[in-house]
Amino acid sequence: MTAADRERRFLENAAIAAAGTHAVSGTGELLATLRRVVTADSPVYCPGVTELEKATAALFPVRAADYGAAAVTVEEVFGGVAETGTLVCSSEGGRAVQAGLLPSHHVAIVRRERIFDTLDDLFAAVAGAPPTNLTLVTGPSRTADIELTLAIGVHGPEKLDIILV
Amino acid sequence: MTHEQTSLAFRENTVRALEDSALRAAMKQAADTFGTKRADAFAPVADLEALRDRASAIREDVLANLPMYVDRFVASATRAGAVVHRANDAATAREIIRKILADRGAHRIVKGKSMVSEEVDLNSHLEAAGMEVVETDLGEYIIQMEGETPSHIIVPAIHKNRRQVGRLFADRLGVPYTEDPQALTKIARKALREKFLSADAGVSGANFAAADTGSLVLVTNEGNGRMVTTVPPLHVAILSIEKMLPSLADLPAFLRLLPRSATGQTITSYVSVITGPRKAGDATGAKELHIVLLDNGRTEILAGESRDILKCIRCGACMNVCPVYRAVGGHAYGWTYPGPMGIVLTTLLTGMKKSHPLVDASTLCGACVEVCPVRVPLAELILGLRQRKVREGFSDPKEMRGMALFGKAAASPTLFALGQRLAGAFWPVVRALGGKDVAGRMPAPSKTSLRRRLP
Amino acid sequence: MKVLLFGTCLVDTFFPEAGEATVRLLRRFGAEPVFPKGQTCCGQPAFNAGYEAPARAAAEHFLWEFDGDDPIVTPSGSCAAMVRHHYPWLFRGDPKRLAKAKRAGERIYELTQFLVHVAKAHEAGLRGKGTITYHASCHLTRSLGVREEPLMLLSSLKGATFLPMPDAARCCGFGGTFMAKLPEISLALADEKAASIEATGADTVTGCDSGCLMNIADAMRRRGTKIRVAHIAQVLAEGL
Repeated sequence: MTAADRERRFLENAAIAAAGTHAVSGTGELLATLRRVVTADSPVYCPGVTELEKATAALFPVRAADYGAAAVTVEEVFGGVAETGTLVCSSEGGRAVQAGLLPSHHVAIVRRERIFDTLDDLFAAVAGAPPTNLTLVTGPSRTADIELTLAIGVHGPEKLDIILV
Repeated sequence: MTHEQTSLAFRENTVRALEDSALRAAMKQAADTFGTKRADAFAPVADLEALRDRASAIREDVLANLPMYVDRFVASATRAGAVVHRANDAATAREIIRKILADRGAHRIVKGKSMVSEEVDLNSHLEAAGMEVVETDLGEYIIQMEGETPSHIIVPAIHKNRRQVGRLFADRLGVPYTEDPQALTKIARKALREKFLSADAGVSGANFAAADTGSLVLVTNEGNGRMVTTVPPLHVAILSIEKMLPSLADLPAFLRLLPRSATGQTITSYVSVITGPRKAGDATGAKELHIVLLDNGRTEILAGESRDILKCIRCGACMNVCPVYRAVGGHAYGWTYPGPMGIVLTTLLTGMKKSHPLVDASTLCGACVEVCPVRVPLAELILGLRQRKVREGFSDPKEMRGMALFGKAAASPTLFALGQRLAGAFWPVVRALGGKDVAGRMPAPSKTSLRRRLP
Repeated sequence: MKVLLFGTCLVDTFFPEAGEATVRLLRRFGAEPVFPKGQTCCGQPAFNAGYEAPARAAAEHFLWEFDGDDPIVTPSGSCAAMVRHHYPWLFRGDPKRLAKAKRAGERIYELTQFLVHVAKAHEAGLRGKGTITYHASCHLTRSLGVREEPLMLLSSLKGATFLPMPDAARCCGFGGTFMAKLPEISLALADEKAASIEATGADTVTGCDSGCLMNIADAMRRRGTKIRVAHIAQVLAEGL
């Protein structure tokens, strides 16, 4: 699979799973996209650890000290899987995986080179020494427990945006 | 609340279920929806049969070497910092969990969906010990509020319609009545979020356990499974021993099959792979992780002729296509597991004496065999249990005498032809004896049988 | 070509017309059907209810009656599946009979299998009439794997219109002894099947198993539906 195919499949499959998808190149476009997808006055949590996260530091006027109090989490995640349009969140490096779970809007930044072709490729890479928590996220939280009618955002985020950088 | 097994009253249960038109409409809609979604989800999968073969072979390997994989899992999970407990039976499992919770002063418990915890009737035991146990899967939350048990292993409240849920929430939560599923979901989200944040402990099940890494795998959609396993400081997981996979690298095959088979999704919203508790430098995970491995008769099943049922990955596809399940729903089966896999598992786990009517709850139509992602030969297993029922003397004596006579007649053309003529001559009597629901549904034998018509 | 006709106990006793139609069809395509007079039942009623010994007695008798190398033809998917898939299991501990059982499994054809694969009857331009829908019985479809053959035959009928039934392969609720043990569910399933048949608007419903057709006919009667129920052998033999 070529890199372009991989990215296209990743974004297409993520969109099928009801995630908002955005592909950008460079920090400038990333910040512009974030400005567009994050509601201006929402309290935002951003770990501010990775280079890309640091680059967003000045962007959000209302910052939440921790994800428990945030309406939006903006973070860079471990990677993605093209086969299913899945985000991969890892606890590696002291990351709080639940930061993307509690707030009602999750904005995940993924680097292009972190997209795996298939689930097999992902697990081949991590199965040797898995982190404490590895979570695959595909679309927003959902349930169909009442009459099999789809309802979004039952416990986790109602909205998921993916920005491929 | 404790739920008594009612499998012996299967027929009475089905009669009641068939009279419940709301239930029948819900079951039919559910089965049709799942059937269509499942077919659509598998349509683009190339080499589906090869994928099923591979998953089936992995499950067979697990069963062939189960004690080894369980030991390996225990060692790996322990190395990762989890405390692993072995429970031979339901009572032991309940008591281990109660003690873990009580020793740490845990009172407020949030639970993720776990059929194994239903199997051991965990909630009633913890509640009796004074703990508050809140089911957090939306379907489980609904039926817990109603004091019911799940009627489907994937969508536990499938038997309830939106109006029933709306009235239940209005009554119990004091919210204005609504029958909009999205609004009802929001109500549950709000109520349960408070529970998560104040919980002392989370109790979950697991869909798989990777022997090589000691990881637990939870395949979920709502996010409550993630909450239960990462928000409270203590996480207790209960799973049965056959949930092993040799390696975490085997997981992709099952991630491709389970969600498609269960709900018709390509993959669920969330798949959590949990390896041990929170470690130094981690910001995720419970501070303490206890894993309870339940046997509850499985080692015995493994040694017997029905062992293939332990390949089952609990997707529920067999029930969605089962004509009997579709017609009567899950409660009629009278125990934790309904549908074709439930017939087999219930009979094996609770014993023929408590469940023998279930083995007849199949037309042997084979629809379950056709959809099973890991090739569990359900129809053969049900046939095997029928043979066991006969061997162990749980059959109707009249039927036993009738079948003995059938064997004699089938081996003797003279006797067979005589039987044919007698049935013809005395059809009104046969009809009366057979009852309107049986012989009354058959036409009278032909005046001249085929054997007499042909040269 | 000589073929041994296994009428099945249901056709023999209740629906001899389907057996006679089978004979006419076989003769039309050059086969010489022989009806072994000592035949009884394949043993399925006992086998499916869990009674191994009576089922084995029936099977043993079948193997005796149908001994030899000639093809066996039967107007029933369910009985053909019994012979092919369950006889070997019944004789798993008896090498001599096991070999015979396996051989019988290879020799047995469900009628439409024989008509398509051996007789090429779907290319013969048979005549038919009216509108016909088809119930795909369970063992025929899923155990024997016969899915296309009946459809090929029915859609080849000149002068008849084939109307597919939604969920054609969903169980009608017969299930042999199931019908007697859980009659309420059986009736409910048959009723649902009857509704699917009515929805096609066809004037005839057909299939390859008399047990299912009997169950469906009863449901039709209860609903007061005037759709004809006929075995596929009868439908195909009508235009001969």
